[in-house]
Amino acid sequence: MNSTAIATHESYLSSGWNWWSWLSTLDHKRIGIMYTVSITLLFGIGGAAAAMIRLDLLTPHSQLVSIETYNKLFTVHGVIMVWFFLIPSIPATLGNFLLPMMIGARDLAFPRLNLLSWYLFVGGAVFTIYALLNGGADTGWTFYAPYSTTYTSSQVFAVATGVFIAGFSSILTGLNFVVTVHAMRAPGMTWFRLPLFIWSMYATSLILVLATPVLAMTLMLMVFERTFGIGVFDPALGGDPLLFQHLFWFYSHPAVYIMVVPAMGVASEIISCFTRNSVFGYRFMAFAILAIAAFGFLVWGHHMFVSGQSAYAGTVFSLLTFLVSVPSAIKVFNWTATLYKGQVSFEAPMLYALGFIGLFTIGGLTGLFLASLGLDVQLHDTYFVVAHFHYIMVGGAVMAFFGGIHFWWPKITGRMYPEGWARFSAILTFIGFNLTFFPQFIVGYLGMPRRYPEYAPEFQVWNVFSSAGASLLVFGYVLPLIYLLWSLRYGERALNNPWNAKGLEWETASPPPSENFHATPVVTEEAYAYARAESPHG
Amino acid sequence: MTNHTYTRPRVYVLVWLTLLALLAVTVATAFLPLGWANTPVNLAISVTQAALVMLFSMHLRAAHPLVKIIAVIGFFGIGILIILSLFDVLTR
Amino acid sequence: MAEGVTACAPQFDDAEQQRTASNLGIWIFLATEILFFGVLFAAYAITRVRYPEAFAAASRLTNLPLAGTNTAILVTSSLTMALGVHAAQHGARRAIVGWLSVTVALGCAFLAIKAVEYRLDYLEHLVPSLDFRYAGPQADQVELFFYMYFFITGVHALHVLIGIGCIATIAVMASRDTFSPDYFTPVDVTGLYWHLVDVIWLFVFPVLYLISRS
Repeated sequence: MNSTAIATHESYLSSGWNWWSWLSTLDHKRIGIMYTVSITLLFGIGGAAAAMIRLDLLTPHSQLVSIETYNKLFTVHGVIMVWFFLIPSIPATLGNFLLPMMIGARDLAFPRLNLLSWYLFVGGAVFTIYALLNGGADTGWTFYAPYSTTYTSSQVFAVATGVFIAGFSSILTGLNFVVTVHAMRAPGMTWFRLPLFIWSMYATSLILVLATPVLAMTLMLMVFERTFGIGVFDPALGGDPLLFQHLFWFYSHPAVYIMVVPAMGVASEIISCFTRNSVFGYRFMAFAILAIAAFGFLVWGHHMFVSGQSAYAGTVFSLLTFLVSVPSAIKVFNWTATLYKGQVSFEAPMLYALGFIGLFTIGGLTGLFLASLGLDVQLHDTYFVVAHFHYIMVGGAVMAFFGGIHFWWPKITGRMYPEGWARFSAILTFIGFNLTFFPQFIVGYLGMPRRYPEYAPEFQVWNVFSSAGASLLVFGYVLPLIYLLWSLRYGERALNNPWNAKGLEWETASPPPSENFHATPVVTEEAYAYARAESPHG
Repeated sequence: MTNHTYTRPRVYVLVWLTLLALLAVTVATAFLPLGWANTPVNLAISVTQAALVMLFSMHLRAAHPLVKIIAVIGFFGIGILIILSLFDVLTR
Repeated sequence: MAEGVTACAPQFDDAEQQRTASNLGIWIFLATEILFFGVLFAAYAITRVRYPEAFAAASRLTNLPLAGTNTAILVTSSLTMALGVHAAQHGARRAIVGWLSVTVALGCAFLAIKAVEYRLDYLEHLVPSLDFRYAGPQADQVELFFYMYFFITGVHALHVLIGIGCIATIAVMASRDTFSPDYFTPVDVTGLYWHLVDVIWLFVFPVLYLISRS
């Protein structure tokens, strides 16, 4: 690729072309792209593990892989998809690229920390991949003690170290974002004029900063216990395995909000643009985002209802879990209200965003089933839970991520993607996703346990549907990879604001100059000040 | 921080002397048979000492409210973790 | 950077914004440290609540005189660090170097006493998985206490070591006239870190050493 193929003007892409200019960059936009490349590779690895799982589950007996290998497959899938794909995805790619631009800044507050954060991410990934190549861990991504600390002989140390290192990457990103939003907004950019994407990045960053240290220390305690043969999780010494679960889930529940809150931010940006409407109830949306982040820290015990936790604690956590659904519901109502009487158009980003609303809603509602103590006794550790979180993580977060990538692709690359192929991929993904995961609600409710490579024969038909859906999903994810890369060279050159969208990022060139804006913008209007008459097509 | 009303050294010395005095108190009370009350007394003294260091030596007294919130939010988070987990352990 | 008119990094509009950002940044980092140690306190608290007698008995075996002395040393080092930051606020180069050097020395004294304490613990067979021997009841839970004791004090000592390194570095920078009343952020930030290490110890000390001495 030579410089003229991408940009016909000076931009952050044309300023320096060799490897070193990228690997030593302090430009948040380049770092965002480096993250995108990294997580795409890791998504491929995590996806390959999922493909193996779905292939193995085509038959009731595990004919493709041994039981031990199956345990390693779902561990790999979980570890990579959670820590090396979902958690960094929107924040480290779109967040890194867009946050300074959306608030009118030249860069994040600490560009060197930003670069360090990418290197830590890659370092953690290398460790984890090393562990994979040396047999992998078989504990599940949840590393429950005492299996992880005492009984397994798999690569727990290496995988935990990889996650530990990647955790610092998360913390630095979060720290950078919080400081930037507080200290570096352009003149006139008051808190309640911020795009909701920024609110979502801010809330996500608060969780990143407050929850991730807890994970780091929990992993350290687990690894020490494994190494020295003594620790506070070991029941033989009077320790408590449930203590591990409390510590682990104190991080891991807020972690799921790290994964979904950014998606909510992306959804608000896309929906407002393609309905030509301000987001309904802007302040409620902003406060709901903060409420989700705050309440998210109070509910972790709902992962432990049947683990030996006291019934009283279970009741408290169940109540708090019902409460945390309220702000999410408010957001879904408000997106719907935004659509109402809007000038809706169905460009690919909008298809992804609409898919997000529907699938996130289903995922969220099924969370209420699981929040009920009585129902959870039946449903815990079944495929119902697996379907629930995949509806949110994949149907929700991944769809929003793809929507965001498509929405901001012209801004990031200066090129348009092929709209026909993109709409086709969005629809294919939506169909494939539902075919993959809806049967899992059914088969989970019927009693099929999760993390088992073998199941009762009467569940086979649902598993076949699910695996068939997964094969569609593969195409749904691979197609964008192909046409997006294609568009880098052959895509139509993009205007500065191809969607006629509101937001400071659209008021600068596509792709932007290195310093983002030639002059610091001054903000005079509210967020989403869409005039109804303009369509998204200039 | 451009607050040019910098803390005077004698304030730091007073804080230091108070911290040492509180250290003596906390050690002394440990030798009193207060039963279950020993721990809360010790912790209360620790909190007081921490507050002195944070307010004066770490300049929180003059800091922007946002900084004050950040300073205590970690303690809140850990408080939630300990309280709800203890609630589980104590009601099993 | 020690020039009269304040310069700032290119992403900032002015030195004021840079100072605000730096201050926010270090406090967020300190919050993560509090959470980091807080997990250890949580694990300790939950285990202690389940075995109060074992933990009390174990606590009586810890070395109160050495730890008490160390607490006084760390508190004093906090004073000298604060005075070092004060000197930086007023551009008193030799005072900065002086106070920071004393702080380093006190930090090293803390670690030296800690090393002595660990060695004594080892000689009394109180180091888990290293020839641990305890003759009384609930020996397993006493061993759990000492596991947490070494973990917590060890992680804290690591933070002290890192702090010493940072303070020594900025002392060298100060001796080369890097700072001025308009720019002394590294001194400020390191000071905040050092004070937090002190605050953490102020909780560690009673929680581990003072459970039951009556």
